[in-house]
Parts: sequence; structure tokens; C-alpha cells
Amino acid sequence: MVHSTFNFMAYILINTFSIFSSLLPPLNEKNLPWIDVIHPIVVHFVIAMALGAVVFDLVGIIFKKPNLFEVSFLNLTVATIAIFVAIVFGQIEAGLSNPYGVSRDILNYHSTLGWSLAGVLSVITGWRYVSRQKNPQVLSKGFVFVDFILAAIVCTQVYLGDMLVWIYGLHTVPVVQAVRDGLL
Amino acid sequence: MTIFDHYYSFQIVGLKSINNLFCLLIKSPISEISDKLGPNDLPYKIPLHPNLVHLTIGLFAIGIFFDIAGAFYPFEKRILRFLAFPVTRVGFHDVGWYNILAASFITFFTVATGFFEMLLAVPIPEVKSILGQSAISTMLWHAIGGVAILFVMISMTIWRGYQRFVFRKDFGRQVSWSYIFFGSLILIMMGLHGSLGAWLASDFGVHITADQLLVRGEDINQIFQ
Repeated sequence: MVHSTFNFMAYILINTFSIFSSLLPPLNEKNLPWIDVIHPIVVHFVIAMALGAVVFDLVGIIFKKPNLFEVSFLNLTVATIAIFVAIVFGQIEAGLSNPYGVSRDILNYHSTLGWSLAGVLSVITGWRYVSRQKNPQVLSKGFVFVDFILAAIVCTQVYLGDMLVWIYGLHTVPVVQAVRDGLL
Repeated sequence: MTIFDHYYSFQIVGLKSINNLFCLLIKSPISEISDKLGPNDLPYKIPLHPNLVHLTIGLFAIGIFFDIAGAFYPFEKRILRFLAFPVTRVGFHDVGWYNILAASFITFFTVATGFFEMLLAVPIPEVKSILGQSAISTMLWHAIGGVAILFVMISMTIWRGYQRFVFRKDFGRQVSWSYIFFGSLILIMMGLHGSLGAWLASDFGVHITADQLLVRGEDINQIFQ
């Protein structure tokens, strides 16, 4: 639903004010105004940093190395910044992706969970900042629990995104061609 | 099979069609297990390599960035104080070290799954990438480049470890300028290398269910409902 709302907004903008569509370069054979999809590149930094933070927390507890908690905090900060960039590009590229069949539902779940994850990551990083101000050498047990939830949400989100690319092939040349030919 | 009796082989040499015949006789080894593979030519739905790549690139790139941040710490100090964001130079260099260590560890699995999935790859024929490369040359460059990058990453990690624990143990700036220079250079190489991998998916349709079905002329709308 989120996605279709944004799609509709993009539709209104592009069709009502021709100046907006003239701001973007013409679309290529992947239905993109740029060479390759940018969202999967930005998403590297969210996935790697969020999952990395969880692993560094666990390793820090098991091997009693409190300086890993600082590594984890800084990685979480990067993930929180990167997810907003990922959402900007994700939203543009989702609007241009021409989803078909079941992939429409998957794209809606991916959009909804993506926006939610931005909130979740922001809150977690903020919480971490506050607890770090008090004592950077100690990680509360509650946070380890939150770490597991974060890892689970990130993995679900990655799986949904993977389905859009590796099963439905959105923004790949053959699928875009099939959509333009009216086959899908 | 008695296709190759003497008379017949004599005849086909004359017809110069031996090449075509070999294409029929020597099949790709994948065809032996094709009934065990899905429409994406893999025994599972989602390829593993592109997911592990997130970890390799993310951890390595952010590791280098944090070492750069640590190296230029005297310049950032005022900005960080202005933002009331209390971080230390040691903290930045800790991220640089542990992230590159984790990246090196995970990259063995990235390369291993990459090779497994490349053995099973069936790229769309007669497609050219943006660089004008065919599928097989893109795949070979991506494979050799992947092993080279693994080697370079391991070397960088060992170098980084020596700087942290031996060479620059008592220094505030834990990395030399040459480390930062080579790190940035590798990031550019990685960007190009990653683009080759991205084109294998987006242009050549390797391991993408919808692309493979479309090329085989099957009706996706029926299958995906």
C-alpha cells in the first residue's frame, strides 16, 4: 500500500508537471535513469553494518572485549545513516520497477518493512548512544535481545529484496523488455 | 552408441560440420543434474553469493572509511565536539581493524559460493554488456578478479594487523598514508568488479528465475500465480 501510494504520487508528478520528468535522464533498457540499480549498492552498508554490529556485540560479550561495543555502536550509526539513503533510491527505483503479479505484494512488504526498519534502526542507535554515554564498557542484556530482533528483521528484509531481484527479475533487461512488449 | 562408425566420421569431416556435431555430442555437465535444479539453475531459490557480497563490500569499505576518519581525526575533532558526538581516535581505528578482519573472514565464503554458482550459471546467449563483453568473458573476469581481490584483502588485513600491533603501536594514527591510498584504490577496483557481477544478473540473467523462464519462452504469469 505504501508503495502504491508513492507510485501514485510519482505518477501524478510525472504526468501533471512535465518539468519533473524532464529532470531525469531518459530511461534505459533496465527502465532506469542511471546505468545500474543504486538501491542494492547502498543497501550493502545497511546489511553489513547492522549484521556486523550484532556479531561484534556477541563476540565482545563472549571474549570480554568491551572495545568491540564501540565498533558495534559506530557500525550501527553508519547503518542508520545509510538506510535513509537506501530508502530514497529504493523508492525511486521501486516506482520505476513495473512490478507484476505476486511481485507487487512482495514489493509492498519490502517497502513497508524498509520504512519500519529505518525507524527501528534509529531508535536502537539512539538507545545505544544513551547507554554508551552512561558506561561504554557494559552492554545490557536487553540490548542483546534487541540485537537478535534487529538481525531477524534485516534478514527478512534482505530475503524480500532478494525475491524481487532473483525470482521476479525487476529491473533486469528481459523482464523490462517483456513488460514493454505487454507480455507481463 | 554407434554414431561414430568409420564411414560416418569420414563423411562429416568432409562436410566440415564436426564442430556442430561436437556441440551435440559433448553436452554441458550441468545437463546431467538439470532435473535436480530449479528454473534458476540452482538447487535453491535465492543465490547465496550476492548476499555474502553485501558483507564483503560493506565491511571492507566502511573499514577503510573509518581508518580515513581516524587518520584525519585532528581536523574532525572540532566538528565532532560541535556536534557533541563523543568519539575517540582509537574507536575509529578499532572499527577500521575489526571491520577489515571480518570482511576478510567472510570473503572466503563469498568466493567459494561465487565459484559454485558460476559453475551452474546459464547466461542468456548473444547478449553484450555495457563494456561490449560477452557473458563468458564477464564471468571469467569476475572470477579471476574475485580471487585477486580476496588475495589483496588478506594482504591488506595482515598489513593492517602489523600496523596496529607492531609498526605503529605507539602512534595516534594507526595507519600509514600508503595504506589509505591502497585501500581507496581497492575500493575503486571493487566498484568495477562489482559492476561486472551486477551485469551478470541484470543483463545476462544468470540465476534469475523470471529471466530464465522468459528466455525459454514460458508464460511467467501462469507460473507465478
